[in-house]
Amino acid sequence: MSYKIPMGPYHPALEEPYKLDLICEGETVCDSQLRIGFNFRGIEHLAETRNYFQVIALMERVCGICSNIHTLTLCQAMEGLTGLTPPPRAQYIRVIMAELERLHSHVLWAGIAAKLMGFKTMFMTCFEIREKIMDVLCTISGNRVNYAMNRIGGVNRDITDPQAILKMVEALELEMAHTVIPIFTTSRTAISRCANIGVLTTEKAVSCGVVGPTARAAGLPQDIRRAAPYAAYEEMEFDVPVQPAGDVTARLLVRALEIMESCKILRQALAKLPPGEINTGDDKFPFTTGTATSRVEAPRGEVMYSVSWKEGSRTPSRVHVRTPTFANMPAIRWMVMGARLADTPLIQASIDPCYSCTDR
Amino acid sequence: MSPLESISEKLGTTEPWIERGGAHWLPLGAMNVRELASAMNGLRARFVTITAYQLPKEEGFRLEYHWDLGGQLLGFSFQLAGNSIESIYDLCEAVDWIEREIHEGFGIDFTGREYEPLLLRKGDTPGVNLREAVAASNAVAASKEKI
Repeated sequence: MSYKIPMGPYHPALEEPYKLDLICEGETVCDSQLRIGFNFRGIEHLAETRNYFQVIALMERVCGICSNIHTLTLCQAMEGLTGLTPPPRAQYIRVIMAELERLHSHVLWAGIAAKLMGFKTMFMTCFEIREKIMDVLCTISGNRVNYAMNRIGGVNRDITDPQAILKMVEALELEMAHTVIPIFTTSRTAISRCANIGVLTTEKAVSCGVVGPTARAAGLPQDIRRAAPYAAYEEMEFDVPVQPAGDVTARLLVRALEIMESCKILRQALAKLPPGEINTGDDKFPFTTGTATSRVEAPRGEVMYSVSWKEGSRTPSRVHVRTPTFANMPAIRWMVMGARLADTPLIQASIDPCYSCTDR
Repeated sequence: MSPLESISEKLGTTEPWIERGGAHWLPLGAMNVRELASAMNGLRARFVTITAYQLPKEEGFRLEYHWDLGGQLLGFSFQLAGNSIESIYDLCEAVDWIEREIHEGFGIDFTGREYEPLLLRKGDTPGVNLREAVAASNAVAASKEKI
């Protein structure tokens, strides 16, 4: 006899509210239904009432983890409509901020995954490291969460002492290479809780159109930083980690390897930070009529913005956001099918879902 | 043959691609969205999203479908005289949530598919134009304030 177990909208495994109704037979999950919308704020509609300064601050609040990515993608789209190109130094600073954000997002995810594995010490370790990353972000931007770094035509704040930031990054890299990654990849607790669970096959990953680490952990080598470089990514050397297994271990390994790749990118960007201006200095923007799109590789995967404007208007006529979790979440249904009930909190967390992003 | 040329050939069109606003756009003429989705499947392009636009006055809606092919963002625009268009959910599983979201936000009906309960606004009425509904309720609230 099958029975339904509701997980959420409020549950210790969920960072934010959503609902997963699990249809079980015994301890095995046969199917599931996802319910979202608990964080729906109508942000896209609200954006149409905000001018070109206000809309940046508004879209920064789509997500509390990858706030910088949202303003970066939005500003790139708006630059497409104004014809402005940020100076090279601004492009490098954008890369630095994006990679620091990826680091803090991946370490945050590692902490939550550790907690769900029943590995509380690791949870505390990850959160201690994340604090240090946030200290770096705060040193650069003056803020811990909503950094307010991006503007049309560049960035708002300079990195005045790249060497000091580089030292902080090297210390972080050492700590992650010596603590987080070896424990996650070799500890019995981590392996026994993650291996062969929540499998998403390559075929299913393709048909669901998943993105980011979820796609790369299912054998798909897709990364917008490599496929369609933006900011200064074309000048960075880095690898795109891919794992074929499609299970939670693969998602964990991909993120662990991406932490090291982010450190590699940060070292290059800080070492090669070009001199010059950090923005174009404009404060009035000649928007042309039309639609511009922009895509960025956020920590959870590809973010896409479509921004429409009418010449002479101070407000956008449409802002559409496609977040990575919106693409990844439907795949949870296939990941939990056949899984043990006790594994479902970790499986759903393994895509690093963000419901605020998804609902907007 | 470039990837874009191979798409044109697959879609049977001689129209030139237009690079605009970060995407490559191809005018499709009389081609319908299901033919397009089948062609994209054949090319193993990755579905990205659909963006809906409400046009002024009684002009209807415009839907922009996006696929990614090897890092190139492809755009295809469909003008809707009314408020319905064929669903491509059976051809492309990845469109499920965005079709549902557009149905819930703009009241556009994607024909040939069934809708599960609301993604957003649980318990509310599906298939309404949320923008118009919000504008109407704001107008009512404003008139009450005046009184």
